[in-house]
Amino acid sequence: MKYLLVAIALSLSCKMQLTPESIAKSWHAYQDAKKDLTPENEYYVGRSVATNLLSRASYKYVEADAFKTGELGPSTAYVNAVGNVLAAAAMGASRKDDRPSPIAGWHFVIVDDDTINAFAAAGGFILVNKGLVKAAKSEDELAAVLAHEIAHTVRGHAIGSIKKSRMAGVYKEMLNNTVQLDEAQLGTLTKAFEGAMDDMIDGMVVKGYSRDTEFEADRVGIKILADAGYDPQAFLRLLETLEKKQGGGKGGFSATHPSAKDRIAKLETEAAKLEKRKVPKVRVERFKNAVADL
Amino acid sequence: MRRILFVLLLTAGIAIAAPKVGSSITIRVLSAKVMKTPKFIGSTAGSVSRGDQLVVKEVQGDWYRVEGSSSGWIHKSNVAEGKVTLSSTPGGGTGKVNQEEVELAGRGFTPEVEKKYRDKNPNLDFAHVDAIEKTSIDPAELEAFVAEGKLQ
Repeated sequence: MKYLLVAIALSLSCKMQLTPESIAKSWHAYQDAKKDLTPENEYYVGRSVATNLLSRASYKYVEADAFKTGELGPSTAYVNAVGNVLAAAAMGASRKDDRPSPIAGWHFVIVDDDTINAFAAAGGFILVNKGLVKAAKSEDELAAVLAHEIAHTVRGHAIGSIKKSRMAGVYKEMLNNTVQLDEAQLGTLTKAFEGAMDDMIDGMVVKGYSRDTEFEADRVGIKILADAGYDPQAFLRLLETLEKKQGGGKGGFSATHPSAKDRIAKLETEAAKLEKRKVPKVRVERFKNAVADL
Repeated sequence: MRRILFVLLLTAGIAIAAPKVGSSITIRVLSAKVMKTPKFIGSTAGSVSRGDQLVVKEVQGDWYRVEGSSSGWIHKSNVAEGKVTLSSTPGGGTGKVNQEEVELAGRGFTPEVEKKYRDKNPNLDFAHVDAIEKTSIDPAELEAFVAEGKLQ
């Protein structure tokens, strides 16, 4: 009840026409910002988060020179092919409450970092560390990594990590439908944008998402993997590899994810529901060729 | 009160139902391929850009067969319903934002806000993400990649 009253009050304060749609929208947004950020909003968030993450890696990423000429280098083109096949499967699934297609498409970057980790920066920008690509043993295992990150994006986990209190503070400006905002309003939004960056990077790099959020990314990710035609069991094989490589270590993904052992236990039930597929030699071979120079 | 709220939410939900045949849609993403068949991976019939307006000729689930600057199939997640005047910069370029764009894209995080954020953080180099987002993979190449890898 109190949310509805707040929504109505905010709508009135913004001189909006009070329609059922606007009331419903206000109520949704006050409850959960990720449902109200438009794909356009998410695009700018994603660009800035990706830039912050690349900055942390001193802008070192594989085949950076090719990007400058508008091309994809061979390893990056391969990872983008795998990623876009998965993204097509994700968008085609039309799950309830999934985010729509990113405004600027899906982009996958191999960060020149041997730490085992990957990040979904929102807005379709996905960064995977070289260390994680090399830890995978086949295209299907690489696809499992990317499917997990695509799942974070389509489920809105990054933008969902923006603190509700921060969004509530800018809610009036977000609902303001006048064409020009004044400097004070822009200042308020920019401050919230900076805070949103902090929240999201904190969630991705420092504290990690909640265990339930990670399990959801695994659950949705393995479905995306299978829908794209890959072997869902590859997800479990990858987690077993990661468990062996990092064990009880504290670096990379271990700092921000539940243990691989717990993830496997949660995922086995989901994997059992999906059709097992043989991994053809061609996928193993083309994976080896594509990552040989990393 | 819960019943009223349910009705309100249902009303909002109805607003995003599939478009009718003969109605218009507007491309919302920066660019998209119009496909020869209703699927993401395959042969393309043409390309469209943000703001292009097309007429719906047929609806198959989440795919719309459209006619306009390009004719073929496009997925619902790439479009906004109706005719909307959109600038090529999502959320409106500086000084070019219009009422329709504000209503569609919403306030919050826009090009103006990104610019202010960049001004306050000059150490961040956005040239990298600018270059990254300009790259793309042709759906026809993806089709060959899928076939070679015996996917599906």
